[in-house]
Amino acid sequence: MFSFQTIIDNLPVLIGSARYTLLISVLGCLEGLILGAVICAAALSHKIWLRRAAALYVSFFRGVPLLIQLLVAYYLLPVIGLNVPALVAAVLTVGFCAAAYLSEVLRGSLNAIPKGQAEAAAAIGMVPLDVWVRILLPQALKIGLPAIVNELILLVKASSLVTVVGIVEITRMSQSIAAATFRPLEIYLAAAFIYLAINLVIAQVGRVLERRLAV
Amino acid sequence: MMFSTTLKSALFGLGALAITASGALADDLADIKAAGKIVAATEMHYAPFDMLENGNYVGFDRDLFDEIAKEMGVAPVYEDLPWTSILPGLEVKKFDFVLAPVTMTAERADRYSFTLPIADATVTFVQRKGGKMTKPEDAKGLTVGVQKGTAQQKQLDAYSAKIGGFTIKEYGTNDEAYADLMTGRLDAVAGSAPLLNYLAKKRPDDFAVVNPPFGTPTYFGYVARKGEGDTLVAAVNDALKKIEADGRMKTLQEKWFGAATALPQMMPKL
Amino acid sequence: MLETLHRYGPDLLTGFGLTIFSWLLGTAFGFVLGFLIEIARRFGPRALGYPIRAYVEFIRGTPFLVQLFVLYYGGPLIGLRLDALPAGILGLTIYGSAYFTEILRAGFDAVPLGQIEAARAIGFRNSTIVSRIMVPVMMVSALPALVNFAIILTKETVILSMITVPEIMFQTQTMMSETFAFVTPILILALFFWGFVEAISRIGRRLERRFTHYLIDRS
Repeated sequence: MFSFQTIIDNLPVLIGSARYTLLISVLGCLEGLILGAVICAAALSHKIWLRRAAALYVSFFRGVPLLIQLLVAYYLLPVIGLNVPALVAAVLTVGFCAAAYLSEVLRGSLNAIPKGQAEAAAAIGMVPLDVWVRILLPQALKIGLPAIVNELILLVKASSLVTVVGIVEITRMSQSIAAATFRPLEIYLAAAFIYLAINLVIAQVGRVLERRLAV
Repeated sequence: MMFSTTLKSALFGLGALAITASGALADDLADIKAAGKIVAATEMHYAPFDMLENGNYVGFDRDLFDEIAKEMGVAPVYEDLPWTSILPGLEVKKFDFVLAPVTMTAERADRYSFTLPIADATVTFVQRKGGKMTKPEDAKGLTVGVQKGTAQQKQLDAYSAKIGGFTIKEYGTNDEAYADLMTGRLDAVAGSAPLLNYLAKKRPDDFAVVNPPFGTPTYFGYVARKGEGDTLVAAVNDALKKIEADGRMKTLQEKWFGAATALPQMMPKL
Repeated sequence: MLETLHRYGPDLLTGFGLTIFSWLLGTAFGFVLGFLIEIARRFGPRALGYPIRAYVEFIRGTPFLVQLFVLYYGGPLIGLRLDALPAGILGLTIYGSAYFTEILRAGFDAVPLGQIEAARAIGFRNSTIVSRIMVPVMMVSALPALVNFAIILTKETVILSMITVPEIMFQTQTMMSETFAFVTPILILALFFWGFVEAISRIGRRLERRFTHYLIDRS
C-alpha cells in the first residue's frame, strides 16, 4: 500500500533539508563562475603554459566523477594540512567541478562577441583587466545565461552526492527517513519531486531572466 | 601501510608526512577539553542505536553519549556520515570520536582505540513470525541472509560449518535481507542481537527472534584514534563505568533494547 | 604494496570489468529506449506527447542517485525486486533514455525539410523516408551530442556503488575498509578515472570524425 501519510508526515523535514541542497548548488555555481572566468581567461591567454594549465584543469575536473572528487577532497585535504569543515569542502569541490564546465560555457559565449569590441576598448586606453571585467564578462554572462542556468540545475542534482562527506541535504535526509519508516518508495519519490520542483523553478526563473535581458 | 606511505611521500613530499607524524604527539582529550565540545560521528540509520525521528537524531548511542559528554564536562556535537566514510574520517581528523557501534575485532583493535563494550553484538537469527525455527540449530538446511562483509557474516559461516550446513545469501544492507525474509525468499536473517530484537519489537506482526543467540559472544564498542585518542578513550571508559554503576546504563538498555544485559567492565579478549 | 595488489588486484579488475559492463549495457539500452521513445513521440499518436514529456522532465530534473534509490529500495514495494547489478543497469538505461531522447529530438529537428520533400517527390514511401533519409541524417548531426553523453555516463557508473553494485568504486571502498588505507586508493582511483575518461573521449571523438568527415570535406 502506497502511504501518502508517510510522505505528508515527513515532508516538512525533507523540505527543510533542501536548504543545504540550495546552499551548496548556488554557492558552488557562484564559485564556479568566478573560477571559471579565471580559467577561461587562462585558456584564451597568449602564454602557452597558462593555456596548458587551463586545459589540464578542465580535463581533470570533467574526467573524474564528482563522487570521487568529493572523497578525494574529504580524505586528502586534511593530509596536506587543510582540514576544512565538511560543508566548506563540499561547496569548494562542487565549485571546482562547476568551474571546469562554466569556463567552457564562458569561452563559447566570448566567441560570440565581436572582436572589435575588445580592440576598441583597448584603443581608448582600457587596461586588459578592465576590458575583461567591464566589457567581455558581462556580455559573456548574458549570452551564456541559458547554459549557466542549465549548469545550476545540474549542480542541484549533483549536490545529492555530498551525502558521502556527511551533509544532511535532501538525499541524505531521505535515506535516514526511509530507514526509520521502512517506507523507501514513498520517501525517495517525495525527495525526487522536491528536486524536480526546485529545478522547474530555477528553469522558470532562468527563462524570465533571459527574456528580461534580451534586447 | 607500506603501500600508502610510499605513495604519500612520492606525491606530497616529506612535508605531508611531517604533518601526519607530528599529529602523533597531540592529545585529543586536551584539545576537546580546550574546545569545550566533542564531535562524534555515526551513521544515523542503525536502529535502535542511531536513527532519525522527524529529523532529530535519537537512539541508544545518542542517549548514552549525552550522558558520557555530561560526565566529561563537554558539549556533544553529532555528525551523520555513511559508514564507508566514518573510519577514514576519523583517521584524517574530521571529528574526534566514532559513535557508531563498531564490532570489536582484533584487526580493528590493532588500528583503533576501542572503548569498553557498549552493547552485545552476538549473532542471532530472526525469522518470520510463526516460522519453523524454535532453536538456532533448526537453521540446518534452510536459507539464511546476512549483511556482506560484517563480523557477523564470519560467525555465520563458522556456524554453518558447525551444524552441518545451510545456504547463505549475502546482502548489502540488513534492510534488503529483511525484505527478502518477508517475501519468503529467506527462512531467516542473521545479525547482532540488539538490532534484531529491536526489529522484532518494532514489527511484531512480521518478525520473531530465534533464541538463544548462536554466535560466540562479541561486543560493540566506540572508537577513537590510536595513540592521540587513548586518553579520550580512558575518559569515556571512566564515564561508562560510572553510568553502569549508578544504573543509568540499565535504564537505557531497557528503553532501547527492551531488556538489560550486563556488559563486561574490562576489555574482552579479541 | 605488492601484497595488497595481490590480494585485491583480482577484485579491482572484476570491479573495473563491471564498470565497463554496466556502462556499455546502460548506454546501449538507454540509447535504444531513447530512440523508441523519440520515434513514438514523433510518429505515434499525439496523446503520447504529454506522458513522454513528463517522463523526460522527471528523469532530467532529479538526481540519478535518487532514481536509483527509488528503483532499488522502493521497487520491491511494487513487486520489482532486482539485484543490485540489474537495478543499476536498468537505472542507467532509464536515466540515459531521457537524455538520448532529447538529443535525438534535436537531431530529427535538424533534418532539412527539403530532403524529405525531395524523397517524397521521387516516390519514397513514408517508412522508407524515415529509415533511409531521416534516421541516417539525424544520426550524423546528433552524433557529437550522443558521444558526449555516453562519456558522461561513464562517470555516472560510480554512483552504482551506492546501491552496492560491486563495480570499481565499491571494490576500492571495500579494500579501503579492510586495509585501513584511505587516501592513496581514492587518489589512484581518481587518476585512473581521469585517464579512462580521457581515453574514451579520444576514441569517441575519433569515431565521430570517421562518421562525419565527409561533411567537413564538402563544406
